[in-house]
Amino acid sequence: MNPDASLESLMARYQQGDSSAVTALVHRLSPQLHRFFLAQFISRRDADDLLQETWLRIHQVRHTYRPGEPVVPWLYAIARNIRVDHYRKAYRAGVREQSLDEGAALTAPSQRERPGSPDMQSLLATLPESQREVIAMLKLSGMSLEQVALATSSSVGAVKQKAHRAYESLRMRLSELGFAAARKGASS
Amino acid sequence: MTDGEIDDVLNRAAGASPEVDPALLESISRSVVSSLAPVRPLPRKSVLVAAATAICVAVGVGGAAMLGMHGIETMNPVQAGVIFPVLGVLIWLASRVSVSEMSPGSPRGAAPWVWPAAGSLTLLAVFAILFQEYRTERFVSQGLTCLKAGLLHAIPTALATWLLLRRGFAVSPIASGLALGTLAGLAGVMMLELHCVNFAAPHVMLWHTAVLPLSGILAASAVWTWRSVTAVRT
Repeated sequence: MNPDASLESLMARYQQGDSSAVTALVHRLSPQLHRFFLAQFISRRDADDLLQETWLRIHQVRHTYRPGEPVVPWLYAIARNIRVDHYRKAYRAGVREQSLDEGAALTAPSQRERPGSPDMQSLLATLPESQREVIAMLKLSGMSLEQVALATSSSVGAVKQKAHRAYESLRMRLSELGFAAARKGASS
Repeated sequence: MTDGEIDDVLNRAAGASPEVDPALLESISRSVVSSLAPVRPLPRKSVLVAAATAICVAVGVGGAAMLGMHGIETMNPVQAGVIFPVLGVLIWLASRVSVSEMSPGSPRGAAPWVWPAAGSLTLLAVFAILFQEYRTERFVSQGLTCLKAGLLHAIPTALATWLLLRRGFAVSPIASGLALGTLAGLAGVMMLELHCVNFAAPHVMLWHTAVLPLSGILAASAVWTWRSVTAVRT
């Protein structure tokens, strides 16, 4: 079964007032949304808040989803809006973005302690926000290039270019960390 | 290091991300279900685009009808045959962009500022080709009159189009304002082309065309100001 097709039918049922469809959508889409927020150097608590806020916004504007259209880009376009609002509020409140050290402290300790396996936040730390967002959508949320383009209101070419530049930065970062050498050593 | 190896690292790092608290998911579900009611989805995009185009044309033509259709009566067939179809295409494109801006996850062909810039350049090119008179008497006073009249027609167009699209959701409010202002500006330009009899190239190229970007900038500024004011209150 096409997973996105069933999301479409769940959205259509949600618009008709079906509570079981809401529960299914929340349980199915929240984990990837949560990972998306965490990848933007947002604390676990803030990611929880943003997830809640995103679902409340989705609920308010659920009528803007047109049956038959892909659900994931629609959802992420709203999630991005919530994230941008969060940054604006944080900026106004004089709250600086959390440092990389703080962000890394939020990931599972077992992951941080494993040698040769950098965590997602330290990997993405070197990337500009727009590239980080694209990598988070492609790799954490498993979206296609077309879906990312729709969610970010850009073209597929622009998304490809950002992903390419991000990979170049990640290649340099991983080389600095000696990650390739460590992998070779571990595999031999 | 190959792309495949980077993919591998990213996938493993992604797999290690912390899980969402199940209690949080339950709380979200309960909160959403508590206010659940059936909703009517937005009309199809083509319907909204047609309606926005109709509003823009109606305001432009209606305004000119009230002030007098002196411009089109004085134009030669080539001028009329080029200017109004070009305006029609620009209005249709601007309507499409405005509708897309109010629909989350809609494709966007170009950056928000490209549309008003491309529209203005198109009008400049068309006017430069079609109008060959280069007199500049009362350049500023007549120009300001036309600019004011064009912008005054943009206001009702922007309000009516906003009423049409208000059920949508602007993921980028300033870009939406720019798109809506551009569309409204085209209503002003249409009114001026139908009404104004000053066919001097400098007048038409500067003062008529200026309605388009100015209307877009004013609408985007209005949205920005409104957002700033509401942000300070919250």
